[in-house]
Amino acid sequence: MSSLLASGIVGGYGGMNILNKASVEVSKDEIAVIIGPNGAGKSTLMKAIFGLVQVREGQVTLAGTDLTNCHPQVLVLQGLAYVPQVRNVFPNLSVEENLEMGAYLNPQDVPDALVEMYDLFPDLKPKRRQAVGELSGGQRQMVAIGRALMSRPRFLLLDEPTAGLAPKVMGEIFECILGINQTHVGILMVEQNAKKALEIAHQGYVLTSGENRFSDTAANLLANEEVAASFLGG
Amino acid sequence: MFEFINFYFIPGVVLGFIYALGAVGISLLFGILRFAHFAHGDLMTFGAYVALMMVTTFGIPAMGAIPVAMLVAALLAVGIDHFFYKPFRESRTIILVIASFGISLMLRSTVQFFFGVDVKVYQRGIQRPLVFFDTLRIAERHLWIVGGAIVIIVLVHLFLTRTRLGKAMRAMSDDADLALVSGIHTERVIMATWGIGAALAAVAGVFLGIDTQLHSNMGWDQLLPLFAAAILGGIGRPYGAIAGALVIGMAEELSAYPWIGNEPLLSPGYKTGVAFAIMIAMLIWRPSGLLRGRVF
Repeated sequence: MSSLLASGIVGGYGGMNILNKASVEVSKDEIAVIIGPNGAGKSTLMKAIFGLVQVREGQVTLAGTDLTNCHPQVLVLQGLAYVPQVRNVFPNLSVEENLEMGAYLNPQDVPDALVEMYDLFPDLKPKRRQAVGELSGGQRQMVAIGRALMSRPRFLLLDEPTAGLAPKVMGEIFECILGINQTHVGILMVEQNAKKALEIAHQGYVLTSGENRFSDTAANLLANEEVAASFLGG
Repeated sequence: MFEFINFYFIPGVVLGFIYALGAVGISLLFGILRFAHFAHGDLMTFGAYVALMMVTTFGIPAMGAIPVAMLVAALLAVGIDHFFYKPFRESRTIILVIASFGISLMLRSTVQFFFGVDVKVYQRGIQRPLVFFDTLRIAERHLWIVGGAIVIIVLVHLFLTRTRLGKAMRAMSDDADLALVSGIHTERVIMATWGIGAALAAVAGVFLGIDTQLHSNMGWDQLLPLFAAAILGGIGRPYGAIAGALVIGMAEELSAYPWIGNEPLLSPGYKTGVAFAIMIAMLIWRPSGLLRGRVF
């Protein structure tokens, strides 16, 4: 029972509900992917799990502990980390300062965690004093993911980590995500490149209009003809 | 030549450093809270009068009263934020701006209530300037002001770049939502920003009082050049604000130099107009400022 579970989530902005009983579960050490058309509520679900969108019904639990509508600070301390789709780095801070901010709540871990991050993203080491705003898209994404990993989370939430990246860089980011998963970090990600994402995932969820259309193992979803036709771009 | 340096250049540098201390606070506060703090000038006045109280009660020099003025102003600003600005945190910016305008009136009236509206000074009598190379005259107070301002600016720099809280402050200025997601204590950062901004304003107020005299409107009158400096440097960019402040201070003083003929180019009465003109020009042609800050 050490999974991250969001069950029957209803919620949204203002008075509108974007999510209508959406549910996802990420088991320990696994990768789960949320796919679906634009406006299906994928990003909103991530935000709802991370306490940034009001959850009106349903529950978010981590290893059995109720974390519904908790302050982000509490979630970070409980072992969750979140990388937003856009504006996910501090552009005027250096690479190293960005990473340090990720470990704001556990400053004693900073030196060790920095070493781990530079092992994971060797490209970032020579640029560690450079402002992140000056880096390429792929490198910025690495900083964004690195920042989240600095808090040594048990589960990492990634919102479209490859959006807007060149195909080659996209592949590198997927490699990274696999690598992170192998260090026993569970991953929940929203991804436009549905097929590629499902290929590295264990579990998959297809969301439409804020509710689950399909919930199955990634392999089964890839084999499902209806999913392939409607959501994997043929 | 020495007349230029003694009576225009040095006063311009001194004024620039005084502005810098105020403008850095305005810039930092804008970066974190996204609103123009209209009561900043009156925090300067408040700090200056706290120091006056120390000077008259304990007979210490004004420079020695600075730490107390900083501390009292910082505590006051954190208190004001808690009771007057925090309830409006989620409101539109204009509401906070108007609230700060109200605070500005309250601060000024409080000073007037306790100290009156007459001009005051820290120290009576004429201070002889130090003379270098027979002709270069520098008032001792000017050396103290510039030296003190440089020390404080270096300390602020070290705080922003070397400490965890200082880096968090810059991070929040960059992206407040991401700071929250990273687990940064955003309310604590806001408190620190108020404390630092107000402490710097208090020093600026005391320096202004040492340089000239104290008056209940002294800080309010500086608001325009302070904002001009912050905008010139790029709002939300503390280093830009320092550069902007030096430019504004110099421009104000040098505009009165008889560049053409024997008359001052601009009557000293129009000093503030110079800051205003620079601010308007920047807002029209380069609203992001020299260092590419935020657009108002």
